[in-house]
Amino acid sequence: MSEHRRQILQMLADGKISADEAERLISAIEQPTSSTSPDGTSTSAGKARPKYLRVLVDSEDDGGHEGPTKVNVRVPMQLLRAGVRLAGLIPAPALSRANSAMQEQGIPIDLSQIKPENLEELVEHLNDLTVDVDQKDANTKVKVRVFCE
Amino acid sequence: MIPFVAVVSLRNQESRTFRLWIPLFLIWLIVLPVAILLSPFIFLACLICRVNPLQGVAVMCQILTALTDTELEIDHRSAGMSFHIF
Repeated sequence: MSEHRRQILQMLADGKISADEAERLISAIEQPTSSTSPDGTSTSAGKARPKYLRVLVDSEDDGGHEGPTKVNVRVPMQLLRAGVRLAGLIPAPALSRANSAMQEQGIPIDLSQIKPENLEELVEHLNDLTVDVDQKDANTKVKVRVFCE
Repeated sequence: MIPFVAVVSLRNQESRTFRLWIPLFLIWLIVLPVAILLSPFIFLACLICRVNPLQGVAVMCQILTALTDTELEIDHRSAGMSFHIF
């Protein structure tokens, strides 16, 4: 048993800390490489950052008229970062026009909320993104996968 | 690093493949002097649009360098096309 763990258990036995706090402290000393982001959430530094966003579409047509279709798109994460930075440069009047045009199309996204400050957070959260869509009709099967790698 | 080569590959239903290698580094060599010549106009356009020209240039460079390793493949029946940037 390490000295730190012993100290934490001693503090728990003395009633200086609660069981939840002891658990948190023990898990913190078990992951020495983890760092704390400014928003307070713990992120593992050892975790590899994704380099690409992959979109796979696999469509099969059982009727035989269209035939199978496969789409494989690999987008570097750096390109996404650059895209977000580019969105941050768009002038305000153009942003408001783009926002209204997207809302007319039923896409409620406010581009003015995409700021370079939120960039890293946005891209890092894509790390955990996996979207699987399976659609089966009478004649067609469509499978869509979006993930980071 | 900026992309140097793009490869466009087309395959028809007879499985004949046509592959085109595009030497992007030659295009950059042509584009660079043109961009330098046009830089005063680009600077003016940035000012009119209220965009920081330095930030604009930085973002464009970032987009250019980030294009490396982009890949697009579409297969339909036995035909298909792919686009790779190296």
